[in-house]
Amino acid sequence: MKLRRFRLGGAVAALLIACGSVGVATAEEDDRWWAPGEGRVFPATLDYPNEHGTLRVLLEGGPMETRGHPFFEPIGPYGRACVTCHQPADAMSLSAKSAQIQWERLGHKDPLFAPFDGSNCPDLPQEERESHSLLLDHGLIRIARPWPPRDFDGNPIKPDFDISVVRDPTGCNLSKEWGLPSPDPHISVYRRSRPVANFKYILAMGFNFDPKAGLPLPLDPETGEPASHNLMADGRVLSLASQMRDAASAHLGFLEELTPEDIDRIIDFEKRVFTAQQKNRFGGDVNAGGAEGGPLKLAESEPGRLGSQGIPVWSEFDAWANSDDPDISPEERAWRESVARGARNFRERMFLISDSAGITTPIGFGNPVRDRCAFCHNMSQMGMDVAPGQVDLGTTNLPFADPQPHLPLFKITCKAEPHPHYGREIYTYDPGYALTTGRCADVGRITLQSLRGLSARAPYFSNGSAKTLREVIEFYDRRYNIGYTEQEIEDLVNLMEAL
Amino acid sequence: MQGRFWRFVAAAVLVNVAVAAPAEQQIKPVVEQVGEEVRFITCPIYRDTDAGRKSGCWLGDRRETGTRFDITGSPTKPDWNHAVLVEGRVVEGDTQQCGGVLLEPVRVSVLHDQNCTRHMLPAEGFTGRRFSLPTRNIRPLYEPRELPKPPYQEKSFDIPFDFGRDYIVYQLSDYYIDKAVKYAIDIDASRVEITGYAATTPTTVSGQTLREPAELALRRAEVAREWLRRMGYPLDRVKIRAQTKAKVSDMEGADGLTEPSRRRVTLRVIP
Ligand code: HEC
Ligand code: HEC
Repeated sequence: MKLRRFRLGGAVAALLIACGSVGVATAEEDDRWWAPGEGRVFPATLDYPNEHGTLRVLLEGGPMETRGHPFFEPIGPYGRACVTCHQPADAMSLSAKSAQIQWERLGHKDPLFAPFDGSNCPDLPQEERESHSLLLDHGLIRIARPWPPRDFDGNPIKPDFDISVVRDPTGCNLSKEWGLPSPDPHISVYRRSRPVANFKYILAMGFNFDPKAGLPLPLDPETGEPASHNLMADGRVLSLASQMRDAASAHLGFLEELTPEDIDRIIDFEKRVFTAQQKNRFGGDVNAGGAEGGPLKLAESEPGRLGSQGIPVWSEFDAWANSDDPDISPEERAWRESVARGARNFRERMFLISDSAGITTPIGFGNPVRDRCAFCHNMSQMGMDVAPGQVDLGTTNLPFADPQPHLPLFKITCKAEPHPHYGREIYTYDPGYALTTGRCADVGRITLQSLRGLSARAPYFSNGSAKTLREVIEFYDRRYNIGYTEQEIEDLVNLMEAL
Repeated sequence: MQGRFWRFVAAAVLVNVAVAAPAEQQIKPVVEQVGEEVRFITCPIYRDTDAGRKSGCWLGDRRETGTRFDITGSPTKPDWNHAVLVEGRVVEGDTQQCGGVLLEPVRVSVLHDQNCTRHMLPAEGFTGRRFSLPTRNIRPLYEPRELPKPPYQEKSFDIPFDFGRDYIVYQLSDYYIDKAVKYAIDIDASRVEITGYAATTPTTVSGQTLREPAELALRRAEVAREWLRRMGYPLDRVKIRAQTKAKVSDMEGADGLTEPSRRRVTLRVIP
């Protein structure tokens, strides 16, 4: 193996023990966090409690020895592993809460808080909590994107917009070493980790067509094959293999590439992991009483189907519409019925979607268009977009985004055609897909995530702007002036908790 | 609780009155004739009808005559912030769904450089139109597909475009270009000749002179070439040409409308 591997130093290990003895971490918390290189066995079924019930992670063909496995072993100078930011208990993503617990335990010595992207900017004093506030308070990892952008083959693109920094609370965008003024200019945006699971769906291609671009799917330069184009908030990589090169050089600070053997082993693992909520907070299974929630169903089903032409999105829970199961408590019955109503609401409750590039332009659905949650979240059983899902929901663009004083704010000036919805100037916390394409028409377009395992991985949206599932629904309610009743909000939240 | 109930009944009665109103009106063009082809620029109006997903109505007032048209049927729907070029045929149809004289077929091209004040009308009792999947759509990959049988014929495919754009219109142009490219691949065509057209000859519409830029002809042809590339057809077998001053054609995708029939790309697929 070509990799130089770094193990946790003795000092760090000692600190771990010390913290444990002070009683900061309970036994259960110890077991939740997967530190790099622990050499645990990854079982075929792994359950973790969370505030809404229990999350389940399934490993097809498991159990699996993780000792020596490149997803779990520390790689690079920080002693980090892939699992550091893709934790089983957090639905293979990373919750802000887990980051907080690790800070309590180890402070900046935990490899999660490595200066390069586990702090607000590498040139800040690393011992201070303040320097890691975006990760601790909002679950955000720094993503440094090259400016000007590069295409999938790595060649620079001539962008059709200028970018300038309006506000730089982390100092990283104006830093002479890390920012736009540096000899190797980069733009720092701050994003949530995304679940490394259920890839059968995320990589599935329902159509060989991206209607949002009016073109067939892009070709992955490594294989020459079409790609689902549903990876990463800004769609900057087209395959799990190229994602890994991106991760190895960025998050792991490792300059040499992963070996082809490492890459194959990681992909093999990634394709066998499925995760979803398994039990609700009253203790019942989400695949009881005729419902079909939980990860087993995901592992067994055909991916990539459009809900409107096949299995309706979240019809898994239709059987709960009228629960007559005598063995469940009144609370659980009420909860089940609420989930079933939430699922119908997700498919049927209409509202006017406006000024959301990717949906209202350039594709001709109209601005506005009357539709529902399942319009964008249209893939059966997964709730992502069957077509490449780069959509501007307004989570990062003003005036739609909620105020986020902790994040950098950029001003985009479109040089060729103005943006159809914003005009020539756009203010954004994260230009998203535009950092991949170099087009101002793509500013703020963010790739839809899968909607599984949500209970385990708050906060939500790629910039962590919704702290709870209720805040997600309230964002939509404000954004599109939906006018939900309290009951509808509750039903949708309960549905999200059950996924 | 009871008070709420009576307020609800009162509201329902009011709504009923509103529903009844449009049925009484006769919405007919004053100036235009049934069968006439119209072409005009206007600011679109959104009517907030609700018959399920994608059931909102789009209206366009033809300023020259004062007729309010129902332009909902266009594959490209308007953007309420921008002017639209409307091209369509006047038909006798159901005017109660949206509240305008029906154009069918109809094409809407969004004119992004002309801003409009957004305007939304309430449903006012109009029903809107229930969405049904347009017959021209690309089928999912998991559906089995019939391959052409030899002997293979030379075939020409025409791809329609909106005014001023090289974007492949969803559930119209995509259907035709997908057919063309799949045919070229299925028969392993020896050559594909692409001709991109642009309607550069000026026309006057609603007091404006409209002409497509000359370079659009090539850009459209390049989009077709990119389709071939991404779907795996070897580019060394592709010839590409651009032609301005596009003439009227009998392209199926224009549904018999005169001006839209000029804006196209032709793919000649040679076995
Ligand atoms: C420092 C934290 C961190 C580490 C370490 C890390 N990742 Fe990630 N990962 C992220 C973040 C953040 C994103 C989302 C980035 C974005 O959207 O721009 C992500 C996204 C991904 C995705 C895309 C998922 C999707 O559905 O879009 C995959 C796959 C992935 N990581 C795999 C890996 C692998 C494999 C490794 C080890 C080689 C790794 N990650 C190491 C933080 C990390
Ligand atoms: C116009 C398309 C669109 C519609 C309609 C839509 N969404 Fe989303 N949704 C998105 C996009 C795009 C994202 C990713 C945005 C981001 O991360 O900034 C997203 C993200 C989410 C997330 C966060 C997932 C995560 O992992 O953080 C949830 C939950 C969600 N949507 C639920 C809903 C619900 C409930 C509705 C109906 C009220 C809905 N969505 C309607 C496009 C849409």
